[in-house]
Amino acid sequence: MPAEILMGNEAIAFGLVEAGCRVVTAYPGTPSSEILAGVVKFKKQLGRRIHTEWSTNEKVAFEVALAASWTGLRAAVAMKQVGLNVASDPLFSAAYTGVRGGFLVIPADDPGPHSSQTEQDSRLLALSAKIPVLDPSSPAEALAMVGEAFTLSEQLGLPVMLRPTTRLCHALQSMVLSPQAADQPVPEVRFRKDPDHWTATPKLRYRLHQELVEKLRAVERAFDGSPLNQILSEGSTAKVGLIASGVAFQTARQALADLGVEIPILKIGTPYPLPRGKVETFVRGLDTVVVLEEPDACIELQLPDRTRVRGRLDGSVPSAGELSPEVVHGVLARVLTECGVSIQPPSDDSVLQAALAALDLPTRRPRLCPGCSHRSAFFALKREFGPQAIYPGDIGCYTLGTNLRAVDTFVDMGAAVTMADGLFKAGQLVGETRPLIATIGDSTFLHSGIAPLINAVHTGSRFVLVILDNHTTAMTGLQPTAAGPDLADGSDAARSISIPDLVRACGVAFVEMIDPYDQESFRAELRRAYEHSQAPQGGVAVLIADRPCVLLDPSSVRANPVVVTITEECDGCRYCVEAFECPALVLSPDRSRVDVDRRICIDCGQCIDACHKGFIVPASMQSEVNAG
Amino acid sequence: MGQPMPSEFKVVIAGIGGQGVVFATRILATAALAWGRPVVACETHGMSQRGGSVLSHLRLGGGEAPLLRQGTADVLLAFDLAEGLRALPYLRPGGVAFADNDGSYPTELEAPLSSRRLRIHCLPARRIAEDGGSKAAANVVIIGAASAHPDWLIPMDALRAAVAKLSGRSTDQNLRALDAGYQAFASSQAQLTRPEVA
Repeated sequence: MPAEILMGNEAIAFGLVEAGCRVVTAYPGTPSSEILAGVVKFKKQLGRRIHTEWSTNEKVAFEVALAASWTGLRAAVAMKQVGLNVASDPLFSAAYTGVRGGFLVIPADDPGPHSSQTEQDSRLLALSAKIPVLDPSSPAEALAMVGEAFTLSEQLGLPVMLRPTTRLCHALQSMVLSPQAADQPVPEVRFRKDPDHWTATPKLRYRLHQELVEKLRAVERAFDGSPLNQILSEGSTAKVGLIASGVAFQTARQALADLGVEIPILKIGTPYPLPRGKVETFVRGLDTVVVLEEPDACIELQLPDRTRVRGRLDGSVPSAGELSPEVVHGVLARVLTECGVSIQPPSDDSVLQAALAALDLPTRRPRLCPGCSHRSAFFALKREFGPQAIYPGDIGCYTLGTNLRAVDTFVDMGAAVTMADGLFKAGQLVGETRPLIATIGDSTFLHSGIAPLINAVHTGSRFVLVILDNHTTAMTGLQPTAAGPDLADGSDAARSISIPDLVRACGVAFVEMIDPYDQESFRAELRRAYEHSQAPQGGVAVLIADRPCVLLDPSSVRANPVVVTITEECDGCRYCVEAFECPALVLSPDRSRVDVDRRICIDCGQCIDACHKGFIVPASMQSEVNAG
Repeated sequence: MGQPMPSEFKVVIAGIGGQGVVFATRILATAALAWGRPVVACETHGMSQRGGSVLSHLRLGGGEAPLLRQGTADVLLAFDLAEGLRALPYLRPGGVAFADNDGSYPTELEAPLSSRRLRIHCLPARRIAEDGGSKAAANVVIIGAASAHPDWLIPMDALRAAVAKLSGRSTDQNLRALDAGYQAFASSQAQLTRPEVA
């Protein structure tokens, strides 16, 4: 077999497919989204029988996969780390009930964070829920660990966590794949009633808890002798050693090579339960032990004696942010020097760094794409309700509405609705009169917005909720939602769930759908919605801003292009650049005027309203003016 | 067999979301395979892709650490000059950068660059790509230019194979862009060295 390039998430996907996993569920979230997409790709390529689905949320995904495991099939669920919070209820319960078929929980952590609201460590959630964790350090190792994790899960009858991080998920690595020639038959398994586990009452749960703790003691001893945990460079006589796991292990090994130093390393592949026997053997004879792991202290927390340990808990390793090569190199250089180990000093680049700092290079924050209908909706909101209104927002591309000052809060999936609800209730007590205008995406609404909406309607809250319906889960790579006909495998056999019907069923009396590209009509509907929210018999009003994501379906823009020109009168006041923030509207190099960047402009014409002085005009009109 | 190979070849690619940094990363990773080197690379996905700064790291023929440390990359490819300048600290002393720009970099960088023996080669990659019929191929033009530099290690046939494998319907355009980039840099160097030759 020739070598291939696989992304970390694809490597995990290949591992799942080859391990005979039969049910894989997920909710999209960076950095995990390519795991399910990879499973779909490989199951088609290799002709495997696997149920794959983008579930409505992570709790749903977890339970659907868990049920498959209870029948005896191998199953897995993937999500980003904060998705595991959503699925934590079944996670904790499933540790007690146990599983039948191997069951993998794959939450992708995001040290940095790059695309998340927290830097939480899923390994600590596993520690709290009491399930074993495997912590791969590279895509190739992640692939290999999938099979071991299934075996472990079946031996113990427990869910097992495989925990990658962003830099593994999005790493590319060359590897040789050797898929089995043909699919194995699906195991002949059926759900078997098992009241001692599947319906265990609190009294039985106490016994299951005891069993769980015993299983963990046994697996800890097994991990002591497992090749997943390896002592490297045993020949070194240095009195300082390193314990590392995950990507931090690879980064640290490179840093030690760059520093020209060889020290004993204990590579941990099973951070929970920590193989304490092996750790004890390793630290014997060492004066100092550095611990490097991401994104938080999990191994370090379990070390019985931390007097000689340098890590996050004593402040030797930064307590927030990614363990970048620079950070790891710096930590190791400092500790080694303090321990009297001579190191290769890094080359000095302070002159270059100072010169670059003096250039004050423009920083590029993420922005909504050219032609994004969210921008049109946000711009209309701001023009209608102004800066004094309160704008609860949510998680998705449209979180970037904060750039446009049209998102004032975001907490977690679905919180736009509950924050508006709570702000209304708190405001009532003090006579708050500012309009409350919440925004949430279609996928996020389906994920976690429905129960909050029922709560708000039921308890009499009053606000406007704008559902920004772009027909997809855009931020994470255009995954389908339950409102559309597409399934994860690309077929269009899904039953579409109507968002307006759902909203009406939640008891909302005012429900309108309108294209935010039609800014005049959109603003008129916003006014009507707000009036409804304030009327004596009114309540929550829901406006559905209906237009497909331009990345998903640019056809209607392409069919009706509106080419704009910026007239000679443009005085470079920057209003459009800041209030509308389309990447295709750029200040000229001398900052005297604004130009259209034709390379990225998609001719949506939405910026015409963004110049209150009327200097952004359709090109057709401009040519008429010139001709006149 | 010629000169012994250095153990690793390390490349950083800088740009803005939408400029094809991920595509360029895939080309170099695939080319490394055709060249017979193990490769580890790291891309940016998610929110940063929405018009933000994007940085890719490639490590060919070496360890498994996905990110390069500042001061260690051999070559920097910049699809935007400002993003390229921001990424300059990734270059090792003596490293070389290629940037898509019609002009040049700020003159106040001359001394700091020479303090680390760095070179930045600006070339109008987008214009070259447009002349070849595809403004989207500026990233491939930059790769082509870099491949004409003596410090560049990935052989041209491996690059061409990777471009052909990954470009689909744009294969011809991208192969032309690769050659155009190569020619643009090679001829600019020829001009620079002509007086010495004479």
